[in-house]
Amino acid sequence: MYSVHLSEIPRTISFRTGLLFLGLFGCSFLALFGYIYWQTAFYLKTEADTALYRQVENRSLQSPELQLAEIRKHAVQDVEGRLPHSLFDEQGKFIAGAIHRLPPFAEYDKPQEFRWLKDNGHHRPVRFMVHRLPDGKTLLVAQDMHDIREFDELLINALYSGGVLLLVVGLFGAVLLGYSAHRRLDKLSRSIKGIIEGDLTGRLPILGNNDDIDRLAGVVNGMLDELERLMSEVKGVCDDIAHDLRTPLTRLIAGLERAQRRGLDEAQYATSIDAALTEAKGLLLTFKALLRISEIENSARRSHFAPLDLNVIAADAAELYEPLAEERGISLTFNSSQMPAVIAGDAQLLFDAVCNLLDNAIKFSPDHSDIHLTVIADQIAVGIRVTDNGPGIAPAEREAVLRRLYRAESSRHTPGNGLGLSMVSAVARLHDMELAVSDAAPGCRVDLLGRPSPETT
Amino acid sequence: MTHVLVVEDDLPTAREIEAALCDHGFTVSCVDNGREGLLKALSEPFDLIVLDRMLPGGLDGLGVLTALRAASVSTPVLILSALSALDERVRGLRAGGDDYLTKPFEFIELTARLDALCRRRAEPPATTQEPRLRVANLEIDLLRRTVRRGERVIELVPREYALLEHLMRNAGQVITRTMLFEAVWSYAYDERTNVIEVHISRLRRKVDGEGDLPMIHTIRGAGYVLRSPE
Repeated sequence: MYSVHLSEIPRTISFRTGLLFLGLFGCSFLALFGYIYWQTAFYLKTEADTALYRQVENRSLQSPELQLAEIRKHAVQDVEGRLPHSLFDEQGKFIAGAIHRLPPFAEYDKPQEFRWLKDNGHHRPVRFMVHRLPDGKTLLVAQDMHDIREFDELLINALYSGGVLLLVVGLFGAVLLGYSAHRRLDKLSRSIKGIIEGDLTGRLPILGNNDDIDRLAGVVNGMLDELERLMSEVKGVCDDIAHDLRTPLTRLIAGLERAQRRGLDEAQYATSIDAALTEAKGLLLTFKALLRISEIENSARRSHFAPLDLNVIAADAAELYEPLAEERGISLTFNSSQMPAVIAGDAQLLFDAVCNLLDNAIKFSPDHSDIHLTVIADQIAVGIRVTDNGPGIAPAEREAVLRRLYRAESSRHTPGNGLGLSMVSAVARLHDMELAVSDAAPGCRVDLLGRPSPETT
Repeated sequence: MTHVLVVEDDLPTAREIEAALCDHGFTVSCVDNGREGLLKALSEPFDLIVLDRMLPGGLDGLGVLTALRAASVSTPVLILSALSALDERVRGLRAGGDDYLTKPFEFIELTARLDALCRRRAEPPATTQEPRLRVANLEIDLLRRTVRRGERVIELVPREYALLEHLMRNAGQVITRTMLFEAVWSYAYDERTNVIEVHISRLRRKVDGEGDLPMIHTIRGAGYVLRSPE
């Protein structure tokens, strides 16, 4: 559980995304705060300057006597020296006010700043303006900027601390995200490794919150279900093949050994060789049929598909099997469809499929029974139906009979390799058709049905 | 004597083919690669060539075949192949092959097919225009599509007629079930049960019935032959 190394966290996407957002958020934070700071500082400075202009204007309007009296009174009242006013004569000598010396200034009537050394020894930042009065005296109005400066500093400090807090929380969040993502991916990788090592029943953990990883895991789990099904099918087929081929091989070897063991005359030798050949050819047929099915399943043959009429194919198959049925007194009835049953397909494969179905029907029907081969072509479906009144296939076995080499209990003693219906099933899949086995009460009904192709409807 | 060139890289298989063809009465030359096969086929006259589809070296069976046909050598070629897919068969025949046989095969199938190729080459196409086919007292009128044996008129359904016509055209030759099926039903033969056997026995009942000497014979494990009873 705690196998997450800190050094691995920076490589996780979550961590990197976290960092990216931290960077973006930091930039917008800086921009916003900088703007507020700039606007505030500008506003306060403008306010101070306006006040200076106004005061200069007020004082200029007063008579020299009132001016002097007011300045003196103001100097007494404004103990703190927040808005010091002073008056100097033509030579720049101090007459009255809080500031005793005219600070160096560049221009009249323009706000400027200087550091005012007060009587109590404190320096104060001061914004001031110098005005020449009509009578030749010089008027100085000023404003203490200390509070404004302090407010500025406060703002800057807030920016710093806010920024640091943002950085710490953001980094912590990114690490946390990276850590949790890393742990989750670790869990997923462990599950996948387990599956690779052979535990095909294993699945990826799903949290149930339907997030990206959950959705991906869901899809992968679906794929694993399919893989497991296929693997078990392949395994089943391998087992079946091994079993089904071992039996004839055993007979073949036993027969040959018997011939070797006994002193046989020529005729007996010939019989033994014939028997061995029959077994070997039977084996070859089984292999051929298996190869054929996988060839069909590879679906490389879809490129040869051409439009064809199922009526023609079914008629050919019925004609081929009619003598075989007749030999056993079975009546094989072929019912063609009203409309042409046109589908895109491979004539050879469909013919073989219909032949297989007829072959099965004849093989499992009792003598003197009926078999119907019907071609269906309507708005809903196009296909072929074979109905017999043989023993039928038990409901439990209807799925299984489509499997390779599967032979129903009742068919153990009839000749065949158990590949007929799986071949039909492979042909059906290749043609996007459904192969369904059902009950014909009594007997068996096999439907090989597909959707009508669009150009025929 | 028919001289056959066998191009097959697997030595035991080549030996078996050689033995089977010699037993059948052919003279056989064997080579084990495409280059040598091509040189031999170009320098000596052969009646038939049995060509393996997959050969070692730069030149495979189809390459040999294409080169032969490009050099206007028209010797009938039967392609042997382990590839059973329909596409492969089509490709082999398109490259100029006359017949295609998938491994594993039965030797009787090989010799029967080679015989058929040989005969097809020997017979000028003019004979097909003859209005009737006759073997002993069995006669087909190809224009009226009627069959008689001696004085007896035999009624056949169309498929039986096609079967008999094919057997008569190849009278005296073994026709395997596969060849028969391919010729009479235009589908490839997917060896199943005894359907063809039943068709043949129906035909046989009509042709050889009622005290006539049998003409349609079954070659066990292989196919059929129609021959004159004398």
